[in-house]
Amino acid sequence: MRGNRYTGRTGSNEKKGETMAGNVRRMSGRRKAELPDKPNTTKLKKREFVLLLLFSISLIFMLYRVAFIQFVKGEEYREKAYLNQTHKRQINPKRGTIYDRNGKGLAISASVDTIGVNPKALRDEVKSDENKLRTIASDLAAILDMDSETIMSKFMANSRYEFIKRKIDRELGNKVREYVADAKLKNIYIDEDSKRFYPNGKLASHILGFTGVDDQGLSGIELVLDNTLKGVPGKIMNEVDVHGRQVSFSQERYIDAIDGYDVYLTIDETIQHLTEKALDQAILDYNLKRGAMAIVMNPNTGEVLAMASKPDFDPNDPDALPDFVDDPEWGGFSDPEDSKLLWQTVFRNKAVMDTYEPGSVFKAITAAAALEENVVTPTTPEYCKPISLAGHTINCWKKGGHGSEDFTHAVYNSCNPVFVETALDLGISKFYKYVRMFGFMERTGIELQGEPSNEEYRKLWHSDPKEIDLAVSSFGQRFQISPIQLITAYSAIANGGTLLKPTIIKQICDNDGNIIKKFEPQVVRKVISEETAATLRTILEGVVSEGTGKNAYVSGYRIAGKTGTSETLTTEIDGRYVVSFMAFAPADNPQICVLVALDHPQVAMNLRSGGILAAPVAGKLTEEILEYLQVERKYTEKDKVEATPEVYVPNVTGLTLKEAEEKLKAFGLKFVVEGANTGENAIVYSQTPKADFAVPQNATIILYTDLEQNDKTVVMPDLLNKSMDEAVSILNNLGLNVRTVGSGIVHKQQYPAGTVLNKGDVVEITLVEMEVD
Amino acid sequence: MRKREYDFWLLFTVLVLLALGTIMVFSASSYTALSTQGNKYHYLIRQVIWVTVGLIAMFVVSNIDYRRIALSSPILLVICVVLLVLVRIPGIGSNVNGSWRWFNFGPASFQPSEFAKIALILFLSFSLSKNSHRLQYFFTGLLPYLMVVGFIDLLLLLEPHKSATLLITMVSAIILFCAGARIWHFIVLGVPAVAGGIYIIMKDAYSMQRILAFWDPFKYPQDIGYQIINSLYAIASGSVFGRGLGKSLQKYLYLPEPHNDFIFSILAEELGFVGALTVVILFMLFIWRGLKIAMNAPDMMGSLIAAGITSLVALEAVINIAVVTSTIPATGMPLPFFSYGGTSLVFLLIAIGILLNISKGASQMPVRSKGIVSESYAGRDVTSRKAGEFDI
Repeated sequence: MRGNRYTGRTGSNEKKGETMAGNVRRMSGRRKAELPDKPNTTKLKKREFVLLLLFSISLIFMLYRVAFIQFVKGEEYREKAYLNQTHKRQINPKRGTIYDRNGKGLAISASVDTIGVNPKALRDEVKSDENKLRTIASDLAAILDMDSETIMSKFMANSRYEFIKRKIDRELGNKVREYVADAKLKNIYIDEDSKRFYPNGKLASHILGFTGVDDQGLSGIELVLDNTLKGVPGKIMNEVDVHGRQVSFSQERYIDAIDGYDVYLTIDETIQHLTEKALDQAILDYNLKRGAMAIVMNPNTGEVLAMASKPDFDPNDPDALPDFVDDPEWGGFSDPEDSKLLWQTVFRNKAVMDTYEPGSVFKAITAAAALEENVVTPTTPEYCKPISLAGHTINCWKKGGHGSEDFTHAVYNSCNPVFVETALDLGISKFYKYVRMFGFMERTGIELQGEPSNEEYRKLWHSDPKEIDLAVSSFGQRFQISPIQLITAYSAIANGGTLLKPTIIKQICDNDGNIIKKFEPQVVRKVISEETAATLRTILEGVVSEGTGKNAYVSGYRIAGKTGTSETLTTEIDGRYVVSFMAFAPADNPQICVLVALDHPQVAMNLRSGGILAAPVAGKLTEEILEYLQVERKYTEKDKVEATPEVYVPNVTGLTLKEAEEKLKAFGLKFVVEGANTGENAIVYSQTPKADFAVPQNATIILYTDLEQNDKTVVMPDLLNKSMDEAVSILNNLGLNVRTVGSGIVHKQQYPAGTVLNKGDVVEITLVEMEVD
Repeated sequence: MRKREYDFWLLFTVLVLLALGTIMVFSASSYTALSTQGNKYHYLIRQVIWVTVGLIAMFVVSNIDYRRIALSSPILLVICVVLLVLVRIPGIGSNVNGSWRWFNFGPASFQPSEFAKIALILFLSFSLSKNSHRLQYFFTGLLPYLMVVGFIDLLLLLEPHKSATLLITMVSAIILFCAGARIWHFIVLGVPAVAGGIYIIMKDAYSMQRILAFWDPFKYPQDIGYQIINSLYAIASGSVFGRGLGKSLQKYLYLPEPHNDFIFSILAEELGFVGALTVVILFMLFIWRGLKIAMNAPDMMGSLIAAGITSLVALEAVINIAVVTSTIPATGMPLPFFSYGGTSLVFLLIAIGILLNISKGASQMPVRSKGIVSESYAGRDVTSRKAGEFDI
């Protein structure tokens, strides 16, 4: 009954219900125990108390969840939130400069601007007014010389950042700055950026390499030293809303970029220039189908002074259409096919990446091994005749051979059979020991990309050499090496027998010019003794002065070297030879090593040899470099006899013939008078060659005594393959002056046959010795 | 005779919660308001108006005898059913995001489900106060109430409005529990109810997505996990003392409608753990006072009403915080006194008014106020009385 009262179910409960209310109150008080049993009331309060507990526990648990998110997961979530809420624009660091060894800038970063936009925020800024957007787009298009539709499409992009135009000149960037400031636009950004610039264009392009749109190095030193050059980007950070609009209390924060380090190469800009010029000329002269390659090295330090590879490219515009390609739809890097072609041709640094059969230049290595092992001495008598070995007959390049000669002359004459004999005397293990010692089975470690690995190098040799392999290897055939390996090995001969690691980097400096890292010469190993090296240098000097290398001879400079004519896989099909010359000078105290290799000269077959084609190029290049390095010429007695001194023609116009004759005589020059008046008081109105022109001392000057007389002309004849005496007399009979370069037969004439020349002009003819390998 | 009084601590807690809530609505909504309405005070102005209307309603209701309101609860429930049917009819109700939940009257809109919550609490309390003894029996006691609740649930599911269904079911269960329903009845019923709930959720792609997002929100950062992730970012960003009032970054449109269901995240971001702790303490204070009123109510009906209203607020708070902390799958639950919302705030404050009115009865001295109290127990003729006469 009581249990029901509280529910107020019946009228009879009314009074008691009231009492109940009092009871409820008291129950919570001290008289609880005295109360009679009221199950529903207690149950109600108990259950409501349970509710209180449950809700409290739930809320405390919620608090725990908040704490968990804020403190346990906090770091992780805050990090992610930060990335979301912050808009970062990168400030590109200034990429380090690449200098030559004398501090001339080869790759420079210029300050430019990059124009970008926050499309979402911009649309918001103009309240999605499309006409306004179009106006801005066309205004910017006018400033930036772009298509306004292109800009418009960027404005409509669904992103927080779009590039409008990258790396524009500061001047143009300032115009955009003015425009944006005038139009009070907040969401078009003009950020400082830098652009790579190569002031010398194609010069040293394979060494320098080039960079991509993000200033990242993609080849050459730009790639190899990318981390050194690139620096650390800075940031501009903004707190932004979900659309990338800056929030009201946000302040732009800057983290400065750290500029990249500067790199000093061992390259000498002038030597590099001379080297490239020599190759460019050779390409023209010999119609080289596959380009050319040259390296200049300091043999005493292993520093590369120049390295050139042709065809080349302009790193300012690396994917431009190469001139040997004819493709009206050239796409450059955007076309994978074109890109592949670029990497296979113009980007390829032949000096490091390509391997070839060295040919006769390798005989110096065989000779070094044989001399060091005392298998031969310079005076050991040899006999040059065809050799039969394992069913093969090995002939000398000269039909019938050279007969009886000592070892020194066998090198001069580049006699294959003598080298075969020598190598057989040396034996397989010793021969290959020296091949390894000279570094031909390992990478040189030069700091350029693309050099074959040790493994790849080893595969270019016979894996299990037999006598016949040894025989052909002795004169440089049936194996391959890289140009950088060859010049490094020759440097060891030049410097007294020490193999050095070649290097192309001189030092790395920070922005204040402090040297961070210096690249000192690194000795790899001692290969041959000083004495052997000295003996070999003398022999190799003789190769140039008396032997097959005659065409590299330069009066006054003691050039040592060896010729090389390499067959290729396609020699028998298309006559592709690689002709090369490996030189060092001065022979008694070498300062430079020069390797020149010309790939597939398209000249008469009998001319396709290193001695005829590569030696004059290497000789002339060596001469120019030594001159630049101010190495003093020391003329031998023979040089002095053969040399024809040059004089500068004096000005004799305006003088009487008598006066002119006296003046010319003083210079040792002869003259011929052209004109009606030949009396000694006749006035000289003009002369050929003109004043201050350099001519050989035995030249004849043409003097004109008639006032309005045209110069007498003659037609240049074809002198090719004529002997020197023949050629000189033909030209002299025509009234032309002659300057001869080299000896032997005429190989090149300054003006092609048929050219109309003035009487008295100086014609240079280049001669070449044909008695070479 | 002691002068009757409102429960001071309850009123104090509610006013502090409202003040804090209004500040947070302003802080959280200002940027959204600026970017969508062009005026950063847009939501603040409306919230202040609704708070004012709500407070007036609260004071009016707190002076009406809850027994009189309870007496009319059957009628209120019928009105509620009618509204729930009407809202489903196109042209009368309006469809927002695929649900028929709203009546639109110009600037104001009204959710009958808000009304249903209070009407059902009142009706169940009113009826159970008379029939609690029957709850011992399943078929004659518990089942009829379950059918009433189930019917309302059905109407809400037709809108559909799952969070309201869930809340109403839970609050009804609490009232039945307090009124003395047998525990094992709940256990027996609970199994099929939970199974049914799971079935409904599984069948519904939208609900299923929310569950997936709950398990691993970072797997769906762009779509279904987006809100949760940004809520977690906001809370985590707060750390101990928060970024400072008004300095939330997540409110910059990262967290959609930051002034609604996810207002607690913004609060935790701006005011940190200290702020969250304060809010939780305020709700605990509210629950304590609310259930104290229930325990001290002059009659069972008042006790059940007080427990129901307190539970309603407590459940909403707990579920809301659980959702924003990714403790349970996302469901659209506002945080009472904080979340922006017109009529729902007014209904909440009306409910608080009823609670305050009950508290007045609870503070009343148990003196000889015969007849009147018993009359109210009887549920008859109370309508003719004035509230003031209630406690002579």
